[in-house]
Amino acid sequence: MARESLLIATLVELADNLVDNYDVIDVLSVLSDRCVQAIDVDAAGVMLASPGGELQFVASSSESMRLLELFQIQADEGPCVDCYRDGRAILNHSLTEPDEKWPRFTPEALAQGFRAVNCLPMRLRGRTIGALNLFRTQQGELDDDDVLVAQGLADVATIAILQHQSALDADVLNVQLSNALNSRIIIEQAKGMISQAADCDINQAFGRLRAYARNHNEGLTTVAHRVVEGQLLVSDLDRKSQA
Amino acid sequence: MTTNRLVDIYTLMERHEREDPQRISFCDVAAEIVHVSGAGVLLQSGGDLVTRFCTSSNVARDLLDFEIAIGEGPGIDASYSGVAIDEGNLMSPATARWSIYTPMAIASGARAVFGFPVRIGAIRFGALSLFRDSPGPLSQAESSDAYLMASVIGRGVLGLQAGAPRGALAKEIELQSTLDFSVHQAAGMVAVQGSMTIRDALVSLRAHAFATSATLSVLSERVVARRTRYVRDTGVWEDDYERSMP
Repeated sequence: MARESLLIATLVELADNLVDNYDVIDVLSVLSDRCVQAIDVDAAGVMLASPGGELQFVASSSESMRLLELFQIQADEGPCVDCYRDGRAILNHSLTEPDEKWPRFTPEALAQGFRAVNCLPMRLRGRTIGALNLFRTQQGELDDDDVLVAQGLADVATIAILQHQSALDADVLNVQLSNALNSRIIIEQAKGMISQAADCDINQAFGRLRAYARNHNEGLTTVAHRVVEGQLLVSDLDRKSQA
Repeated sequence: MTTNRLVDIYTLMERHEREDPQRISFCDVAAEIVHVSGAGVLLQSGGDLVTRFCTSSNVARDLLDFEIAIGEGPGIDASYSGVAIDEGNLMSPATARWSIYTPMAIASGARAVFGFPVRIGAIRFGALSLFRDSPGPLSQAESSDAYLMASVIGRGVLGLQAGAPRGALAKEIELQSTLDFSVHQAAGMVAVQGSMTIRDALVSLRAHAFATSATLSVLSERVVARRTRYVRDTGVWEDDYERSMP
């Protein structure tokens, strides 16, 4: 039995290390590889906006120096910049010279053998946080299925970013979550008590709670807490807001 | 290998979210990834306040609600202890525990149950509760996937909370727990009906639910709808009572 416990404890520790060493770069690199495998493109990469709003290269399907240079140019100009700024996908853009829009990006991309480029926005809570960049060596368009898959992959990248972010803010968020859950529960309990004691429905009970809180400039949770603790009698609660 | 598996999980999450944007997909993905019959997530806050967060099916929901109501089961134990819980054979368990949960789980069709704490590092705030309709332990790979999934859920829940206004519970979390809140409303009502503390009211509700083979959720909804009440003078529960005129 003791040996089993030791084994379980070791496994738990191992698992902890595995999942806590969450390497978002690693995840996005694997994802970029999958883009190339899943759809008809030859290179893929992820760019993310820094807090200042500048796009930065994060991960790609290949670590070739030349490809990385292509991403670095995209900090200033290129499909990713446009896609990020407008929050809209750029699909099947044929690269031809001369290009007034992207005077540095296009020649470099062509020199590397790419003929077409696509860019899908990564969107989170209504904001664009970055872009998934896909390069093709062939001319021609992605078919409809590939376009859907590509946007799906951009959404997977966004999920990965959100997971990474949560790990960074875990302490703060956990306290927020805990407090919010507790507050919610206490408010529901107070609503029940008021509903029963004042013989009104749950919504009306909430109305009384809120009215009291407003009239006395107290927080909703604070008032709910006092009701639940018996420090505030239901009969003390006003029927209507007096404001 | 972990990285690849994480990308598999995120890919499944994206697919589920695309197919049904209103539904929290964590439990559906968990059941699929670990190859179990059902999955549920409970959140624990402030000591002994436990809430259902999401479940993959009605059976999973009823099982999780029961766990939470009686305070026994793989998810509850994993959440409180912080270690993984493993019962591969409910009909003939290796460890004697869960005298009330076990027969109920078996009656629901479960033959093996597992619990994994949901956490990020040392921060614990719930558990992933899994059940299977056939006996047997989780394989190495399935166990590994379950740990990974619990971690993803942990980050996912906190990620949802990150989107909420300050001091508020994230809408997505609130919506999932809506039925649960009726339990607390009912506790408030029963506390007044019986002149007892909220805690005692919760205990009374659970006891009555168990005694009448109802789920706590169903009983709570009846109480809130004023179709069932606790009568202090007699200490009995009354159904379909006449409300006295105010």
